[in-house]
Amino acid sequence: MKRRGVGYASMFYGTGYGNGFPDESRATALIKQEGCIIINVGVSEVGSGGHSVMWQIATEALGVKKELIKIQHNDTSKMHDSGTAAASRQTYNTGNAVLDACRKLRENMIKAMENQSISLIEDSEVIIQIYQQMILKGIETKIEGYFKATSSEVNLETGQGDPYWPYTFGLQKAVVEVDDETGKVDVVDIVAIFDAGKIVNPALAEGQSIGGTAMGIGYAIMEEIQLDNGVIKNRNFSDYIIPTSKDVPNIKTYFIEDLEDTGPYGAKGLGEPVMLPTAPAIINAIYDAIGVRIYDFPATCERVLQAIKNKESKK
Amino acid sequence: MKAVGKNIIRPDAYEKIIGKAKYPDDITFEEMLYASVKRSSIPYGKVLSVNIDEIKQLPGVVAVIDYTMIPGAITHGVIFKDTPILVKDMVKRVGDAIVLVVATDKASLHEAMKQVKVEYEEYKGVFSVEDALKEDAPILGDGSNVLYDIKIKTGDIENGFEEAEFVAENWYNTQMTEHAFLQPEAAVAKYDNDVLTVYVATQYPHYDREEVARCMNIDEDKVVIINTAIGGAFGGREDINPQCHAAIAAYITKKPVKILYSREESTISHCKRHPMKMYYKTGVRKDGKLCALKVRIYGDTGAYASWGMNVLRKAAVHASGPYVIPNVDIEALAVYTNNPYCGAMRGFGATQVPLAYESQMDILAEKLNIHPLIFRFMNAFEVGSITATGQKLTSSVGMKKCIEKIADIDKIDL
Repeated sequence: MKRRGVGYASMFYGTGYGNGFPDESRATALIKQEGCIIINVGVSEVGSGGHSVMWQIATEALGVKKELIKIQHNDTSKMHDSGTAAASRQTYNTGNAVLDACRKLRENMIKAMENQSISLIEDSEVIIQIYQQMILKGIETKIEGYFKATSSEVNLETGQGDPYWPYTFGLQKAVVEVDDETGKVDVVDIVAIFDAGKIVNPALAEGQSIGGTAMGIGYAIMEEIQLDNGVIKNRNFSDYIIPTSKDVPNIKTYFIEDLEDTGPYGAKGLGEPVMLPTAPAIINAIYDAIGVRIYDFPATCERVLQAIKNKESKK
Repeated sequence: MKAVGKNIIRPDAYEKIIGKAKYPDDITFEEMLYASVKRSSIPYGKVLSVNIDEIKQLPGVVAVIDYTMIPGAITHGVIFKDTPILVKDMVKRVGDAIVLVVATDKASLHEAMKQVKVEYEEYKGVFSVEDALKEDAPILGDGSNVLYDIKIKTGDIENGFEEAEFVAENWYNTQMTEHAFLQPEAAVAKYDNDVLTVYVATQYPHYDREEVARCMNIDEDKVVIINTAIGGAFGGREDINPQCHAAIAAYITKKPVKILYSREESTISHCKRHPMKMYYKTGVRKDGKLCALKVRIYGDTGAYASWGMNVLRKAAVHASGPYVIPNVDIEALAVYTNNPYCGAMRGFGATQVPLAYESQMDILAEKLNIHPLIFRFMNAFEVGSITATGQKLTSSVGMKKCIEKIADIDKIDL
């Protein structure tokens, strides 16, 4: 018989390398005589939308039409080190470096135009004019931006310190159906709520939430590397099974934008935190459905069925 | 705002949708060679011999490269340089790279790889944290099998549990998992005019540049990393994998070289998510306030350090969950074994612990007979809260707002 259950799980996640490790990002903003602005920045586009986030932050800070701004991010001979696309740090760290470079470049552009107000620049001819004025007046056309995150090393014996900053928060609700004859768990509904500060691109952020939830479903009920004396037995996608579209339910995502003072426009990290609450919410929902708690993960059919049997034998 | 907060179509969308985005395997050069590494089939032992001379004679084989032919450093690593680029003698896991074979074409390479024979002296390995911590266990790390040990202590744990009306005490075990990104690793390297260029999909091009320069023994400005389109990563592209091999092969043959992994090789070679054994004892007062937390976390970090210490630190720091707990005693260890090495994967240690702390929260809510959302709300961080590490949270603490939102949707009075 299929039994339905509801579970909730919260989480927090500290952005960045943390523990006082140098967490630095750099970006270079250049106004070009061809009438465009180039941002050289080491943001690896792993699929998470980092390229777009840098583009949007640059567009906002420069007050220039987005089509006139190009992000170059793939050649180490042309960009400075901005650290890894990891630790959910690119929007916060590298976004701050881009913001720093672009704000300073805009100041120089305004200076070149002798403080005439420049609202949104939509025409490359205007950029060419500004560029020419900058060259004429000896104003720097190439600006370096920099940001270093704040964290402190924790004491190894007491753990006291400020290991990460900032923290992202979130919560998910999972609704599952558990077949108490087969042990199969179906995730039928997910509600995801995150506070990652300002959301730079809501559609991309929702995509992250959906992708993270899918990964969390795999972590909760499907995925496991099987080892035999150090040998991985399931090496292919034919036997290492990850969720498909049929395993991923309707996911409704909401963002609570509690702005972070030190973030670019108030943004924090999002890429990793989105998968954290899914698995525990599912595990709690399984308990709600059949009164059985899983302690060894993932909650495969075999484990759920075994847990049901163990419970019945105790009666 | 005109751009931030807007659903602008991402600039890389078009090329990816129409299939024009270039991944490493889409890059080819004239006279390009193909390379592959022979990997260890055993988890622990010594390499006695490899039939290198025999392989060199096979049709299409251009070079067979062992560790002695690496111009610079023979190891790499994000924190400690402990991972062999090509094994000198000791093998510590299945998948360690032993020799690099370069051939004119894929078919010759495939045939040659089948002929590579490695003779080993095999040792008894350790495959669990429990075995690795035994006194007579072989030492896999630098003098110890414990890579990292961190404690977080605040308040008075004994008094904390004395205040408790209910206590939940359980063990939780998380599994090892795989990133399962869609694009298996690949790299193309070429060596022109003293400059080594490596085309690779990576999470950190400047780190790759550093490691390639180290193994080549050349200045970093003589190495260029071109970060191609990336087919997913999730932490699996933070360590070095094909980068140094492609660079060394291009340098030795003076020809462009491509390395392309199968799914199997990709799965075997890159890091995994740490499996963790987690002991949790959580105490709550009659009024629903959490009062004490004792946690022990054992992470199987496998054969090499990678990010193991950082992952276990992240697990320890996040072990309390987003809750105020005045009396805390946490310890987390990263332990070496002969299993696949574990490193970065989405969430990085903060992914494992919620399975424990959120299960504990539901168990205690049931004992208290309080709705699980209300119980979480009563204990959640807010501006001004102090974490287990003594950190004061001063801004952007949206935990309670998240709970309020779901309570509003589910019509629960907090």
